Amino acid sequence: MKQAEPKKSIEKPLNLDEVRAEISRREGQHWRGIEDALQTEAYREALEREFPKQTAPWASDLDRRTFVKLAAATLAMASLSACRPKYADKIVPYVRMPEEITPGLSNYYATSLRFDGSALGVLVRSDTGRPLKVEGNSDHPASLGSTDVFAQAAMLELYDPDRLSSILYLGEPSTWDQLTNAVNAAMKGSGKKIKILSEPICSPTLFGQIQKLKQANPNVELHQYQPVSTDNEFAGTEMAFGKPLRVRYDFTNADVVVSLDANIFGAGSGHIRYTRDFMSRRKMVGGNKQMNRLYVIESAHSITGGKADHRLALKPSAIGAFAQDLAAAVGVSATGPNSSDAKWIRAVAADLKRCGGRCVVIAGRNQPAEVHALAHAMKHVLGAVGRTLFYADPLPMQETKQLESLRSLTADMNAGSVGLLVIIGGNPAYDAPSDIGFIDAMKKVPMIVRAASHSDETGFHSHWQVPLAHDLEQWSDGYAFDGTASIIQPLIDPLVGGKSAHEILALMAGDARDPYQMIRETWDAAKDEKLWRRRLHDGVVGKTEWTNVSPILSALSQIRPAAPASGTELVFLPDETIYDGRFANNSWLQELPKPITKLVWENSIELSPKTAQKLGIEDTMGLIGGNFHTTKAEVTVGNKKMVCPVSIVPGHADDVVVLRLGYGRTRAGSVGNNIGFDSQYLRTSETMWTAAGCSIASTGEPYELVSTQFHYSMEGRGLVRMSPIGEYLKKPDFAQEYDLEDEEKPMGSENAEEPIRLSMYPQREYKGNAWAMVIDTTLCTGCNACVTACQAENNIVPVGREEVRRGREMHWIRIDRYYEGSLDNPKMHMLPVPCMHCEQAPCEVVCPVAATSHGSEGLNEMVYNRCVGTRYCSNNCPYKVRRFNFKQYADTTTPLLKMLRNPDVTVRGRGVMEKCTYCVQRINAARKRAKKENREIRDGEVVTACQAACPAQAITFGNKNDSNSAVARLKAEPTNYALLKSLNTEPRTTYLARITNPNPELEG
Amino acid sequence: MSEMNGKYPEDMGLRDAPMIEGEHDYGTVTDKIGSIVLDRPSPRQWYIWGGIAGICLGSFLVSFCWLIYKGVGVWGINNPCGWGFDIINFVWWIGIGHAGTLISAILLLMRQRWRTSINRLAETMTLFAVCCAGLFPLLHTGRPWVAYWLVPYPNALAIWPQFRSPLVWDVFAVTTYLTVSALFWYVGLVPDLATLRDKAKHKLAKIGMGIMAMGWRGSAAHWHRYEAAYLALAGLSTPLVLSVHSIVSLDFAVSIVPGWHTTIFPPYFVAGAVFAGFAMVLLLVIPIRKWYGVADFVTMRHMDWMAKIMLATGLVVFYGYLMEMYYAWYSGNQFEIALASNRLSGDYKFWYYALIFCNGLAPQVLWSKRVRHSLTGLFVVSLIVSIGMWLERFVIIPVSLSHDFMPSAWGGYTPTIAFGDVMFFLGTFGIFLGGMVAFVRILPMIPMSEIKHLLHLEKHESHPAAQAETVA
Repeated sequence: MKQAEPKKSIEKPLNLDEVRAEISRREGQHWRGIEDALQTEAYREALEREFPKQTAPWASDLDRRTFVKLAAATLAMASLSACRPKYADKIVPYVRMPEEITPGLSNYYATSLRFDGSALGVLVRSDTGRPLKVEGNSDHPASLGSTDVFAQAAMLELYDPDRLSSILYLGEPSTWDQLTNAVNAAMKGSGKKIKILSEPICSPTLFGQIQKLKQANPNVELHQYQPVSTDNEFAGTEMAFGKPLRVRYDFTNADVVVSLDANIFGAGSGHIRYTRDFMSRRKMVGGNKQMNRLYVIESAHSITGGKADHRLALKPSAIGAFAQDLAAAVGVSATGPNSSDAKWIRAVAADLKRCGGRCVVIAGRNQPAEVHALAHAMKHVLGAVGRTLFYADPLPMQETKQLESLRSLTADMNAGSVGLLVIIGGNPAYDAPSDIGFIDAMKKVPMIVRAASHSDETGFHSHWQVPLAHDLEQWSDGYAFDGTASIIQPLIDPLVGGKSAHEILALMAGDARDPYQMIRETWDAAKDEKLWRRRLHDGVVGKTEWTNVSPILSALSQIRPAAPASGTELVFLPDETIYDGRFANNSWLQELPKPITKLVWENSIELSPKTAQKLGIEDTMGLIGGNFHTTKAEVTVGNKKMVCPVSIVPGHADDVVVLRLGYGRTRAGSVGNNIGFDSQYLRTSETMWTAAGCSIASTGEPYELVSTQFHYSMEGRGLVRMSPIGEYLKKPDFAQEYDLEDEEKPMGSENAEEPIRLSMYPQREYKGNAWAMVIDTTLCTGCNACVTACQAENNIVPVGREEVRRGREMHWIRIDRYYEGSLDNPKMHMLPVPCMHCEQAPCEVVCPVAATSHGSEGLNEMVYNRCVGTRYCSNNCPYKVRRFNFKQYADTTTPLLKMLRNPDVTVRGRGVMEKCTYCVQRINAARKRAKKENREIRDGEVVTACQAACPAQAITFGNKNDSNSAVARLKAEPTNYALLKSLNTEPRTTYLARITNPNPELEG
Repeated sequence: MSEMNGKYPEDMGLRDAPMIEGEHDYGTVTDKIGSIVLDRPSPRQWYIWGGIAGICLGSFLVSFCWLIYKGVGVWGINNPCGWGFDIINFVWWIGIGHAGTLISAILLLMRQRWRTSINRLAETMTLFAVCCAGLFPLLHTGRPWVAYWLVPYPNALAIWPQFRSPLVWDVFAVTTYLTVSALFWYVGLVPDLATLRDKAKHKLAKIGMGIMAMGWRGSAAHWHRYEAAYLALAGLSTPLVLSVHSIVSLDFAVSIVPGWHTTIFPPYFVAGAVFAGFAMVLLLVIPIRKWYGVADFVTMRHMDWMAKIMLATGLVVFYGYLMEMYYAWYSGNQFEIALASNRLSGDYKFWYYALIFCNGLAPQVLWSKRVRHSLTGLFVVSLIVSIGMWLERFVIIPVSLSHDFMPSAWGGYTPTIAFGDVMFFLGTFGIFLGGMVAFVRILPMIPMSEIKHLLHLEKHESHPAAQAETVA
């Protein structure tokens, strides 16, 4: 039986009179229906649902606090939403496939990375729009396919989770529009000066923008500064030739190279190319019987000094006198102070004169102008100009007096005449000389706009902070060390909202163009699409700003370097891995062992053994349980004191205190804050590189340094085998003698032609490819590029200071540094050690679960997901190249770091062993390509990450079964030897013995 | 203490010294031993040691959880020293176990009657020591949850363990050892459990003992089968005494690490194991016989024998140390020589000399009868030997690893303390002590049935027929 529904009660009965009154009240307005006129609750609800915005409009008087609250809430909600997978719903294939992007296949784009005021051409691997790995651009003259540690670590810079990610005004988030308003107001403002402070600029487009801005607004001035400046180089040419000049060397033509404290292979524009060129003259393979000769005169042992055929350690102040003596000896001037080692001067001068201008005398940045001038004069007199080096006028954007530039800026700031200061890059609040008082001066500027990748020390003292786009995120351009122009194209949209310097300049100038248009206008004025694309593709424009000039040598009689000072001298040098501190927040570089000291995560006062002895601290230093204990010492210069831990570096000049820049940062980020000590504190504008009259005293306070290698000596184990070229030519297979001397040679092999193979296990046959590697110890400088390249390629995680202290660093390739000879001026050897991929691998037989096993092509393969983690393989590895995940080292949660990972390489979890794979992912990629094309893998098709990065081309990889392959040819060299051959491991990685070219006059 | 503790009459040859002292008959033996389990209140020391074991167990739980949570990185192991406390302790514990098996099995087969009163305690010690030992190789792996991959079992991955690896042999050796030891121990317990079942008044004890006694009624058939099974198990255990530690030593000997790669390891390790095992038995027996007043059954004659075995095995071990040095020199192999000189003069030389003192020199005092007959002396020497045997593994394992082929990779080893190596090691003492404490409370620590057998023999020793009779 159907019941009648109860009648709904009408909450608000219709009252037509009210409606009429309402409508008449809204005279002249439209009404949509009776409900509208009534404004009933139901109507309101419906309205809210339909047009929520209209019912609750923003209060126009929204105050800042509420806004920030809402912004914070939004951020929190946004982060919450990020807690789940971004694409949780459905994966829909591209409706329209973006051209050129195939998931699983990488594209390489040519671009450039700028460092030290010059551009380095690189190719960047991109996977589905994600930049992954930097390789050198073989078309670019600064790279020729190689890179350095900084270029390799650029990827972590890009994905650094600590990057400044929004525009900040007085520490609070702000917007680009607000910045625009503020900058416009300041630009129009009081007629005070508008200053732009930048790191050295190499972008013609940016410089053009600045020039234009200057024309439009005469108050605008540009200053350029970086702590490792080129001032002395330009001052030297000015002194020698009356005007500052750029210098470019051609080491391929140089038979004799004399370095006056120049770290040619270290860092700085052009060093990659210089290394490559220099080493191309040192390859003692394929019957080559000649090599160049390198003399290094330096205060602090550098990797260049390590490669020297003759090395002389001198106090910085004595290097000037040496240069003078040498100059006199080659005929630049009549006499020198005659204070140097006469034998050395005689021998070097004779060598230089003999080579008929095929020589280079090069002074380091930290040498005063006089030494540079003398070096130029020598080259001039010896006839090297035009053969091994070339001069050109500085580029228009090049600041030849950076320190002066910074000083005048600071003076203007202090005078209160600066109305707006825009600081792009750099970090002057941290790295300006301490006596300049940059931070105090900053306080006198009403508005400072700071564009940087991080909210750093300078940002802290600025009003506005703008995230600066990474070179991989922007359109720009730059000149290389030799004036070659290249275009910088973005690999990805700015990840954290970074703006490029072009955008900031455009903002100041009110320029409506975007950077892409600007770059295109600079390099494609003719709008030739094809040419533009070619230039982008090549990464090199083809236009080189280099016009050789033939300068005339001024009278050099008045060039008198300061006389050698007595007492202890201080030397400031850029750090080998974090440079001037700009890379302080880069954990790859922090954990990269310094090439010489092998310290990580900190700097130290470096002293020679004798200096340490004088200080009476050598007995407080040493190893305790495998950790390096040292003492702190107090360095005093003038009225400034600093207490820091000491390390002893054999080969440093006596009475020299070496301090490395770049540490002690307070606002570098979560990685780089408060580690090491800030040498800048002792560095003044007068003592940018050296300070005489310093004193050092032990405080007796113990300290534990963290190093990756403690033992200096090879213990006569023939790990690096060296011979002078003369001996080598007489007995090319000298390297084999070490093995013959070895008492553990397999029985029965004494007289046999073929050594008898002793193994319980059958010999494997490798029918197809047999991958192998040869590392040439003659060429390796120990620059670490391979280590960082491997880290970037293979998802190797840094583990932090404490874990390295425990001996748990994860690098798959390490560079062993050994000393040979006297403690005070030893010969230094660099030995890169990746996995040897032994044919009779000791690790394989002891793994209980076959997690490390032998591949059919001879790779010693690591199966991560089979690994139980007994570490037996590592114990049994005589080369100790295996690395264990003692904890969960890989960060698998930080989104930015996830983007960093190479998708072709497993991210290893806790509890598994890992090691060098010979870049098996690259082998497999090549195999796929070859199979598709139905051919064998070509020689040179597989290039391992370490090999690709190596500026010295010391690493060769390939198929040793193919007798024509480069690697097979090197293995046939008489200098080819295996590490620890007596263990019968039959390693696939072998080494070429080191050959040096000493001057017989200096021998014995 | 009733007997002439430590003051044997000079004229009394050991051969003639009684193995059971005091006036005992079957009844008193049952009373004396059985009552410890059934009705005597535990001595104060039992509570003290129970408390200590509890604390250690707590530290085990904490450090175990921390280990599982963080990974083996909480320990001091590193590269190059991939093994540290974990494997030191594994070898140490498993070595300790050996005395138990030696006493039970080999001495049984060799008809050494004196083993009777200490064999149960020694076997129990073996069981718990092997449990402690087994924890280390299991938990020292980076991913212990997949450690079962070392066991050959049919699996969907169609992959076997890698049989060339000594670690796989270890799995077989240790699991076999544990199984056989447990069986041997249990079979030996059955007659005693039946005795206790019959004597027990508490219902729980009756049921518990009853189930464990498996219906033992002491019939001739039972005894016949018991003796056969016991002898068979003894036969099975005997090779294990030699094989287990030989295989453990192969973990090192098979590798190519200088200091590990040496052929003397198997006998040297076995001797070391027996050496350490007897030291540990003495460490346990000396206080227990006092606290529980069972000195009548564990007499000075036992002490003397054990001391002599320690002395003998200690000499073998010492010979091993000397040989290691000699071989290093004689081989002319630079790596071996470098390692030997590192032991003598490297970072860890103090520990090497401590080892030589503990295992080489200190046991020499056992030549003296005075020391052998002094409980305090024996206790001290045993303690020193136990420490020494631990140091031996320390010197072999991390010290060798820290200094192998590549000088650049040389490093060091520093164990972690809180939540790490030391705490975990202490924790295994919790398992060991806890096990022992529980054992002496709930099971007869001296085999009553065997003592009765011995009593029978002793009583009729003068009888010419009995003298000819065999024990088994």
